[in-house]
This record gives sequence, C-alpha cells and structure tokens, in this order.
Amino acid sequence: MFPISHFIYLGALLFSIGVTIVVVKRNMIVVLLGIELMLNASVLNLVAFNRQHATNIDGHMFGLFVIVIAVCEAAVGLAIIIQVYRYYQTSVPEDVNELRESK
Amino acid sequence: MNYADSFPSTLISTCLSMAILLPLISFIVSFIVAEKYSWAVPFLASVLLLMSTVCASVVMFKIWNTDPVALSWHWFNLGSLTFTVGVLVDNISALMLLLVTLISLLVHLYSTGYMAGDSDLRRYFAMLGFFTFAMLGIVVSGDLLLTFIFWELVGFSSYMLIGHWHEKPAAAHAATRAFMFNRFADMGFLIALMILWTDHGTFEISKLTLASPLATTWSTIAAFGILCGVAGKSAQFPFFAWLPRAMEGPTPVSALIHAATMVAAGVFLLARLFFLFTPIALDVVIIIGSITAVAGALAALAQNDIKRILAYSTISQLGLMIMAVGAGSTAAAMLHLFTHGFFKACLFLCAGAVIHALHQVQHQSNTAFDVQDIRNLGGLRKKLPFTFVVCVISSCSLAGLPFSSGFASKEAILDVILGWTGTEFSWRWMVLVSAFAVSFLTVLYIFRMIWLIFFGAEKATRSLHVVEVPPVMRAPMALLASASIWMIVSVDPFDYTGWLYSGLRNGKFFHFNLLAPISAGWVLAAAGVAYYIRDKAMTLPLLRHGFYADEAINRFVEGPILNLSSVTIHADKKWIDGALHFTAYMQMIIAHVIGWMDSALIDGAINGIAWMTKRIGSLTRYLQGGKIQLYIFWAAFTIIIFIIWTLL
Repeated sequence: MFPISHFIYLGALLFSIGVTIVVVKRNMIVVLLGIELMLNASVLNLVAFNRQHATNIDGHMFGLFVIVIAVCEAAVGLAIIIQVYRYYQTSVPEDVNELRESK
Repeated sequence: MNYADSFPSTLISTCLSMAILLPLISFIVSFIVAEKYSWAVPFLASVLLLMSTVCASVVMFKIWNTDPVALSWHWFNLGSLTFTVGVLVDNISALMLLLVTLISLLVHLYSTGYMAGDSDLRRYFAMLGFFTFAMLGIVVSGDLLLTFIFWELVGFSSYMLIGHWHEKPAAAHAATRAFMFNRFADMGFLIALMILWTDHGTFEISKLTLASPLATTWSTIAAFGILCGVAGKSAQFPFFAWLPRAMEGPTPVSALIHAATMVAAGVFLLARLFFLFTPIALDVVIIIGSITAVAGALAALAQNDIKRILAYSTISQLGLMIMAVGAGSTAAAMLHLFTHGFFKACLFLCAGAVIHALHQVQHQSNTAFDVQDIRNLGGLRKKLPFTFVVCVISSCSLAGLPFSSGFASKEAILDVILGWTGTEFSWRWMVLVSAFAVSFLTVLYIFRMIWLIFFGAEKATRSLHVVEVPPVMRAPMALLASASIWMIVSVDPFDYTGWLYSGLRNGKFFHFNLLAPISAGWVLAAAGVAYYIRDKAMTLPLLRHGFYADEAINRFVEGPILNLSSVTIHADKKWIDGALHFTAYMQMIIAHVIGWMDSALIDGAINGIAWMTKRIGSLTRYLQGGKIQLYIFWAAFTIIIFIIWTLL
C-alpha cells in the first residue's frame, strides 16, 4: 500500500511538467497537451484524497467530471487551433500578433 | 523801465519776424538747392538778405525811441520750473538789427565777387545766412536761455566759416581753436546763468531788470561769469588769441565776424546785461578792456599780415568798447560798436579787394609771393585807386581823425572814461592814460599799414598788371566808406550827441567841452609821429606774436589739459578698462559654470526621469508584449513565490 504522499508528489511532478510544457513549448498542440497533463495531475490528487475517506465517492465523481470537461476543452481547443492555423498558417501563438504594433 | 507787452503795430512784428527768419530761409534754401543750380545761390541769398535788411530798417525806424517791447511765451516745464522764450526789442536791439542785416547784406554782395569759382558756394552762403540768423537771435532774444542757445549757434557758424577752406590744415586748426576758446569761455556764461536762475528764478531779461539788485558775492560772481563769456566771444584778454588765427577764413567772413556778427555779440550782451554788474565787476570789466585795448594796439604795430593787423585792431577797438561799458556807459560802447562795424567791415573788404586783385594777377602771370604780407606790397595807390580812396576814408575813421564817425564815437568813449576817472588821483588815471595811448597807437599802426600798401615804391607788384575788383565788390566798399563819415552819428562833426547817442543814452551823462579839440589835436599829433617814423620797422618778437598769448594758452592751458588727458587715458585703459575686463571675465566664468550646471544637473535630472520612464515603459511593455506563454510563466512564477512566502 502506497502512502498518500507518493501520489501527491506524482501529482505535483505532473503539474510542474504540464506548466513547463505550457510555458516552454511553441507549438499550440503541445501546449494543449501540457494543459491536459495539469488537469490529469489534479484528477490524480482528487482520486488520491478520496482514498482517505473511502466511504463516499465524491472525489471519484469529481475526477470523472474533470475528465469530461477536459475532453470538451480539448475538443474546443483543437478546433480553435485548427481555425487559427487555417487563418494564420501557423500554430505558434507568438506569431499570432495582428493586434500588435508592427515593427 | 517800462516795458510794453505788445508791438505798436502788426507791421512791426511782421517785419521783425521777417528780418530774423529770412536769413534762416536763405540758409535752408542754399542748402537744398541742387548742385546744378548752385550758381543761383549767391543771388538768391543776397536778395533774401536785402529783404531782411529792408524789414530791419522798417523795424528800426518805427521802434526807435519808443518804449521797449518785451514779449514772452511759455516754452517748457521742468518739474515745477517754467521756462519761457521771449523777445526784447529796445533801441539797442533795433540798432543792432539794422547793423547786422546791413553788414551781412554787403558781405553777401561782396562775396558774390570774392568767392566766385569756389567749389562749395552753397555751404558758404548757407552758413553766412545761418550766422546772420544766429546773431539776430541774440539781438532780439529777451530770455537768457534763448540768448545762450543763439550764442552757441554763433560760435558754431563762425567755426564753419573760419574753417570754410578746411582742406587747408591752418584753417581747420584755426576754426577748431576759435570754437574751443569760445566753448571754454562760455563755461563762465553758463555758470552765470545758473547763479541767475538760483537767485531770481527767471531768465527773462525784462524781469531781471525789475528784480531788486542784490549786491551779494553771488551777483558779482555771476557778472564775472558773463564777463568771461563776453571775453571769449569778443576776443578780450586773456582769450584774444583766437581772433588773429581766425584770419585763415575767407576775408568777407572776417569782415562779418569783426563788424557785426561774432565779436559784436559780446559787447552787445555786456550792454544788455549791464544792470547785472556790481561796481567791483565793472572795475574788472574796465581793467580787462584797457589791457586788451593796449595789448591789441601794440601787437597790431608789429604785424606784417594785412588781416592780422586788422584783427589786432579789432581786439583793441573792442577793448575800448568794453572800457566804455566798464566806465558805466553802454551808450558810448554801442555807438562805437555801430561806427566800428562800418569802418572795420570796410577795411576788411579793402584788404579782401587787395588780396583778390593780387591773387587774380598772380594767377595770370604765374608769380608767387605772399599777397597778404605788406612788406611785399607798396605803391598800389596808382594801380588800385578806388580801393586806395575807400581804404583811406575808413582808416581815418578807425584812427579817429576829425570829420569821421570814428572820431565821434571815440570821443564819446573818452568822454565817458574822463567822467568815470574823476578829479581825484587814483588807479583810474591809468585807465584814462591807456585809453589815450590806444587812440595814439591806433593812428600809428593804421598809418603804417596804409603807407606800406599804397605808398612808397612798388616791390613784388612792379611788373604786374593789377586791375581793380569788379563793381559788385566795389559797391559795398563804397557804401561802407560813406557810412564812415561823421554824418551817420550827428550833424555837427565835433559833437557826438546826435540822434544815435540820444537814443542810446541811459543813466549818467558827463560831458567835457574841451575834449573834442584835445582829441583832434592828439590824433593829428599821432599822425605826425606816424609819418615821421613811417619807414622804421617794428620787429619786436613779443609784439609780432601778440604777446605770445597763443603760446601761453598752449603752454598753460593746452599743455596741462593734454597731460591730464593722457593721464586719464592711461587710467581709463588700465583701471577702468581693466575692471571692466575683469568683470567680463568673471561673468564669463560664472556663465560657464551655470551653463554646465544647467546642462549637467537640470537637464540631467530631466533626462534621467525621461530615461527612467522609458525604461519602465519598455519593461512593462515587455511584460505585456502579447506573448501568452510569458503571461502564464509570470503567473506561475508569482504563485510559486506567493506559495513559498505563505508557507515559510
């Protein structure tokens, strides 16, 4: 039986990796992957904390809910990315700079 | 004395203003006439002066022996002080009005011949007109401030005329010298004006005469001041050196200066301001007059230049007039001024005629000798008979021979001095003796001049064909010579108390009946002596150089002034300029420091603020530069910091 701290560490690691990907990567799809990773880290935490109170299943339900939301979010996000790609011919967010003053 | 406050008729006031303003118009017209028409200037100026003379004679005959007229108008205010301009016309000014315009007219006429061919006729005639105008201003001015202004204008125009041939260094120098002497002497006049203003608070002569005479030290000093100004203008001791030098000017100008406009102004002013003179001042006046009269006559004996003889003669005669004023009779002085005006103008015109005629013949025959040196002349009575006759008539008048106007006026002066001397023996007898000595010496020098020019053997002119001057020059000479006989003073040649004297007389009146025969005998004796010593040359250097008055002025006035000015120049350059330069350098240094502070500190502060604003701006811009991931980074970073801060 693993102690809960292992799950929390893993969640924190996953979250940190997700944040790093979001900040560092240029491709928008990879950024979306990072976001998914952060969501999964939080879901892992929810499930892990639910094990402390095994009599109810609120954590599990919340986790499932998050997964559903994440799917929707990924779908909307990918759609936006595809539309942006079509319009700007790029999937790098920095190059989408139409509102910025031209240099 | 009662003053009328308006002229008896408008005719008189019109004529008076015409008489004064026409010479001024002549001045303006002569200056503005185009170069092309400059030949017309002499005629135009002469016609204007003729009109002026006619007007002046109308004034003279209308106003003679009526009450004097004093008018005054408000001029300007200086604080609470009110200054006026005024006109004061009495018998003296009426007489002077006629004398000045008449002599000026004759000089104008004469100049048309004498100055023909001169390169700057317009300036010459313009200044003649201005000179006349300025003198007429003095004559009618009833206000001392106005008198002073015209007094200075007379000095200025004499400067312009003496220096007419300014390309000659001697003429330019003589003009400057005359001007400087006059300015120097006018200092006295100015001081007198200040004292009078302080004492009486008015410059109006008519009010000054009514003011109670204050026999204080200050009025004596004021009288000395006026005397100083008069001595400068009338070439009295110690200022007489400028007059012989002024002979560098054209001869008609000399005639004008000596007869009517310049030197007469001094005697006229003395006569007009006679009431200001305290007894002590009058004693000084008569002493200065007698010194000048004797010195001038002695110096005239030793001169070889025609015009210089006449110049010293004028100095001597002016001394006589001043003596008459000092003895208390302005009437005798004015009478002599009047007669002297005619015969001295005539003598100068004669000298001018001789010079002109000889210059002409020199020009034709290409000979060169000094035509003004009487040692070169001689025997000219046959070649210039007209000039000879005229010159002899006017010389007789100067010498005071009986049946001449000079005899009458000189008798008036001697009479006055006799009365002043009194019967008690005192220093006053010296003055009487000097008056008689002057009368004697006058005969000697004028006889010598006539003799050397017109008698004896011809010298430099022997082989030359000398012709008389043109009629336009002869007419003024003839008129002036005819005014040199006794008829102009009174009908009786041995009694000077004719129409002129009775109109001028004021105050005490002394008459010594035996004077006329004594004076006549004295002059005739002098003529005899003069004939006896006719060939003796006077070569005393002291007299030749006019008692070294010029040199004395050079040494004792000009020298110290030059030294003083070189000292002041040095002080000016070294100390004042030095201090100025030092201040300037200091200012420059301070300015540099301030400039540096301005650019470094103030501009630096402003620039620093701007720079900081720019940095902060670019920093914040960098933070929200549209890079989404950077936002997230900063958000995450901040949260981490926040978490660390809350947890620790």
